[in-house]
Amino acid sequence: MVAVEPGSRRVTAGLLATPLLWLTLFFLIPVGFIAAYSIGAIHVLPTDPKVISFEDWHHFLIGDSIYLGLFWKSVRVSLVVSISVVLLAYPVGYFLALCVKKRKYVLLLVIIAPFLTSYLLRVLAWKVILGNRGVINSLLFDLHIRSPGDPVSWLIYSQFAVMLVLVYVWVPFVALPIFVGLDSLDRSLLEAAGDLGANRWRTFLRVTLPLSLPGAVAGFIFVFVPTIGEFVTPQLVGGTNGFLFGNAINDRFTKALDWQSGSVMAFFLLAVVALLMALFGRFAQVRNVRT
Amino acid sequence: MSDVASSRGALWALRAFFVGLVLFLYLPLAVLVIFSFNSGDVTFPLEHFTTQWYRLAVRNPALLSALSRSAIVAIVASTITVVIGVLASYALVRRSFWGKPAFAALVFSPLVIPYLVFGISLLVLFTAFDRFLTVTMGTYIGLGLHSVAIGHVVVALPYTILTITPLLERLSIALEEAAHDLGASAWDTFWRVTFPLLYPALLSAFLIALTLSFDEYAIASFLAGSSPTWPVFLFAQLRVASQLPQLVAVSAVILLVSILLVVIAELGRRASERKYEGSIS
Repeated sequence: MVAVEPGSRRVTAGLLATPLLWLTLFFLIPVGFIAAYSIGAIHVLPTDPKVISFEDWHHFLIGDSIYLGLFWKSVRVSLVVSISVVLLAYPVGYFLALCVKKRKYVLLLVIIAPFLTSYLLRVLAWKVILGNRGVINSLLFDLHIRSPGDPVSWLIYSQFAVMLVLVYVWVPFVALPIFVGLDSLDRSLLEAAGDLGANRWRTFLRVTLPLSLPGAVAGFIFVFVPTIGEFVTPQLVGGTNGFLFGNAINDRFTKALDWQSGSVMAFFLLAVVALLMALFGRFAQVRNVRT
Repeated sequence: MSDVASSRGALWALRAFFVGLVLFLYLPLAVLVIFSFNSGDVTFPLEHFTTQWYRLAVRNPALLSALSRSAIVAIVASTITVVIGVLASYALVRRSFWGKPAFAALVFSPLVIPYLVFGISLLVLFTAFDRFLTVTMGTYIGLGLHSVAIGHVVVALPYTILTITPLLERLSIALEEAAHDLGASAWDTFWRVTFPLLYPALLSAFLIALTLSFDEYAIASFLAGSSPTWPVFLFAQLRVASQLPQLVAVSAVILLVSILLVVIAELGRRASERKYEGSIS
């Protein structure tokens, strides 16, 4: 696009100065600090070693640290959650985009609205439902299916609880990219497939599904990237079994006060996310801003 | 209604699935609202209807100050975000300059950074800066609401830009050129022509930033220091069973207010789109 006033570089510089300054000071430099901290190039706490060393990196990546194992556990949990979310959101996106004629945007808003309410609140709701004296268990006591001394205990403080709550939290968000992908689908393609003798199932497998995959992949990335660093939900409903990589990082900074090894893990997580975005980021574009 | 996308049977299955998912999404929230009016613990069987939790909540000073802290942070952060967002959007849509793709990547990258890592990064930055101040000048700033607001501006910025740029792109450049030809300065053109047309989008962007900041826990948990914002306070109090009904009551109110804000933001966005239809040549 052409500038309104040709040659007005001062206006452009004036527009760019504040955003650039803010993001450099409060985004780029802090992230750089984490990288520097992880090798001991800066030290803030009195207990920090005052020498540059890759010892913590070595210990994390190659040594017998439990944290790399926790990282893979987080990857597994995130994979299960993201795949479940896409599988749950896909039929909804399909239904709204291709089967509903009237009011489809209203129905879409009904699905998305819970995502716009407080995250902690939605986790709290499940804590109330799944607890040992929670909604499900007290209902079972009330109906004399279980005795009050014997609640269904795996409902909460388990990996199951963490995954259930994360799926609940992310489903509304993922319905959106899947819906958008299917809604922009040219319906005459489906009619053409039908005219050429394909039944509906075959049309879905050979035409609709391949064309809707970018939306599904975008949805997958939208869930996988934030859940891999998740530490709030496990703290509330995960117990010891639901402890994830994000909790380990959080503990390094808030409890153990070992910021250097915490920085190693934090920067590692950031690098993994950056790599994922480099590989799959083109699917995840919310919309193309013309540049 | 049977067509190329689904057979009659498949349509019923999809319909049932949709209804099931809506129930899955809304029942937990409904449970919260129901228990906020129940006397006694947050367990079945329900006892009787009461508004005591709401009355207790409005008299709980710690709870109220946490709410007001969050309100202050949210208002300050959203205001700064919208100002920076307008500048960045204007540069992205109306200007051509060297390094534009890199600038776009920079402003959108906070969308994908794990908030945990970002919160920690700012914690390290502010702590290091305080140490520097202590050593050189014998003073320090400390963590607090200002650091939370600074972090929230960074993560809310991409959402603001995503709200403003589509409308700016559709707003005819001819209007600005006309103003310029008639002798208006760039500043006048912005205030007298662009801003009035952009206003609904700005309101919408402001509300999105406001809800994001008000609800944000991960970043705030590292940066709030000794002045907990509402989510930080809520998280800490969740361990205290006797506090739960009160927290549920306040959360129910916030639930309704946030849905209201979202609806207003959406209506604002639509109003601004209609306004554009009229102004595009």
